[in-house]
Amino acid sequence: MSDVSLLIEPVLQLGPLRITDTVVTTWGIMALIWLVAWPVSRRLAIDPGPAQTAAEGLVCAVEEAVAAVSPQHVYRIMPFIGGLWIFLAIANLIGLVPGLDSPTRDLSATAALAILVFLSTHWFGIRIQGLKGYLRHYLTPSPILLPFHLIGEVTRTIALAVRLFGNMMSLEMAALLILLVAGFLAPVPILMLHIVEALVQAYIFGMLALIYVAGGIQSQQRNPED
Amino acid sequence: MELNWTTFLLEMVNFLVLVWILKHFLFRPVQEVIARRRAGIEKTLSDAKGLHENAEALRHQYEGRLADWEQERRLAREALIREIETERTQRRAELHADLDKEREKGRVAEEHRRADALRGLEQTALAQAARFAARLLASAAGPETEARLVELAIAELRQLPPTKIATLRNHPAGSNAMTVTSAFPLTEGQRVRLTQALATLTGNESPLRFEQDDSLIAGLHIAIGPWILAANLRDELQAFTEAGHGE
Repeated sequence: MSDVSLLIEPVLQLGPLRITDTVVTTWGIMALIWLVAWPVSRRLAIDPGPAQTAAEGLVCAVEEAVAAVSPQHVYRIMPFIGGLWIFLAIANLIGLVPGLDSPTRDLSATAALAILVFLSTHWFGIRIQGLKGYLRHYLTPSPILLPFHLIGEVTRTIALAVRLFGNMMSLEMAALLILLVAGFLAPVPILMLHIVEALVQAYIFGMLALIYVAGGIQSQQRNPED
Repeated sequence: MELNWTTFLLEMVNFLVLVWILKHFLFRPVQEVIARRRAGIEKTLSDAKGLHENAEALRHQYEGRLADWEQERRLAREALIREIETERTQRRAELHADLDKEREKGRVAEEHRRADALRGLEQTALAQAARFAARLLASAAGPETEARLVELAIAELRQLPPTKIATLRNHPAGSNAMTVTSAFPLTEGQRVRLTQALATLTGNESPLRFEQDDSLIAGLHIAIGPWILAANLRDELQAFTEAGHGE
């Protein structure tokens, strides 16, 4: 956790692009994931070792969770949902490392993920159901509900972004306040709560994204005659 | 809490790149190896199932074959028992037949033995009777007995059947002399009467040759060529004994 402040400060300026520590940390997380996944993927065997067993356990857990919600489109939506879970779990927990800040305490990052969930919901729905069939679900069961569908699309996306941002920022703020008030080592219990909360928020975000995507796919599958 | 559009856009790009990395370096390879392992396991299970089915089929075949063998063994045993029973019955019948045959043979042999013994006894009795009679007649015989036997012989010559007489007459004269053998010396009268009787019978006037043989006991033995007239006690007793042998 950064000992400077909760403010998002730019790290470097590339012309008009102002690169913040959120982006840099995200790159670091991406590099870390790649550095772990690449050697594992090169040494895969029928008889797995410890690293492969852990990787298979992770992949199978994600696959089972996705299959429980949308069993017909597991392999299509699994990379996106699995990526959300893995990235958010690491991004939420990385704030515990001294000198690093969690990217998810930045509303820009959570909003970007929420927008991706919003877009992927329509993307998967249109790819599977077709544009006309997918858009028709906004008029069901009655066209009167179209405004509510549209409002729901916007609000749930905003809620998705703000929920994750608010929880993660509040955890870090609480830890910072306790550190300022009580001193060194006093925020340790709240940091332990941070671990639980980080994993829970990652799970909630990924599960909500899965439900939204699966809902966009299956909303039309309930009416095959249409 | 301000929204940084650069961060916003870069985070979107970053996450999409991260999804690509995860898909190509984690999810897809791991899913492929899991699929290969599942395929191997499925193949192993399929092979095991096939082996199990083959084993079950072999077990059923073996049990069926055992049942068939048991059935064949039972049928063969029953056939063997029937064959043994038939053979035993046949052997018993053959044994009974052989016993009856042997018993019959024994009975016939016993009858033959008894007949032979009886015949031997009869022959012995006849021989003893002949010897007794010969001894008795030898002591009792004399010229008188011989005279009666000569008369009896002359009477028999006169009573010969015509066929016999024709045979004697067709006998060439002189080829064989007519011989009259007697136990006692014959008288002249007896010789004349015999000569006349034989000449009448044969038509041959040639003289007779008279001989004496004590073994005749009493009586005559007339030989005309191959024809012989025995009118003596020795030949009669011998004929009596031979008649007993011929019965």
